[in-house]
Amino acid sequence: MNNKTYQLVKAATNILSGVSMATLIVLGVSFVGFNNAFVFNNSGIAVTNNPVTGDQINFILEGSRRHECTLTRVHSDAYDDATGERFEFDFARKIYIRSNDYLGSDTGIVDHQWAMPVPDGMGPGVYRVTLYSEFDCVYLLFKKTKVQMFDNIALIIE
Amino acid sequence: MDKVKNQKIQKQVERWDLFARLTPTLFLATSLILVVFDVVPLEYAFYIGLTGFAITAVSWWWWAIFTIRYLVTILSRASSNLTDVNTEIKIVRKELEDLKDEQ
Repeated sequence: MNNKTYQLVKAATNILSGVSMATLIVLGVSFVGFNNAFVFNNSGIAVTNNPVTGDQINFILEGSRRHECTLTRVHSDAYDDATGERFEFDFARKIYIRSNDYLGSDTGIVDHQWAMPVPDGMGPGVYRVTLYSEFDCVYLLFKKTKVQMFDNIALIIE
Repeated sequence: MDKVKNQKIQKQVERWDLFARLTPTLFLATSLILVVFDVVPLEYAFYIGLTGFAITAVSWWWWAIFTIRYLVTILSRASSNLTDVNTEIKIVRKELEDLKDEQ
């Protein structure tokens, strides 16, 4: 290898190594950011028809979302404040009230409203609702299953 | 002794240079292939990269500290030798001038 070729190879490997290092750093930082990000930011769930007088409970989820996530599993319970008795919500009977942009996939702004029937045997009283949800989130090359929980959602049944 | 050690340091610098040139590209290419073909999960590749980065950083840091210490010792020895030579030249010059005056 003559001197000129050697200089060229050296310069090329320098550039390649620099670009690779920058790519590794960017990918690493993006991965940590994606890994540690919540599914929803500044979010909350509330019951919009409190106190509930009919047989339907309306919920709203508001917040923002950074990454593309698909809901894979959801579970919600209501606990009686006085007795601690547990009532499970039936998500198979969930009705969408307003969800033009499901979980904000286009805008990143989540404004999701749904309704569920009052569980059987749930009498008048004050309840605390918890909601457990699992998502498959995707960002660039990265994919991760994430869990987001909401609790202390006040529910009053009359 | 110094010459052998100097050559050793030169070789070590060349090895670091080669390592810095090849490792990022090789690691990026290998991990991309392994992740894309689902051989290794992305998290593993990330933690392997992070561990390699940490080991390299610590090794390089200690190598740099020892090398700088050695170079500083060499420099101070060279500087002290130069001062001795300078003093001796001054003495010789004075003796020569004295000899000239006597003649």
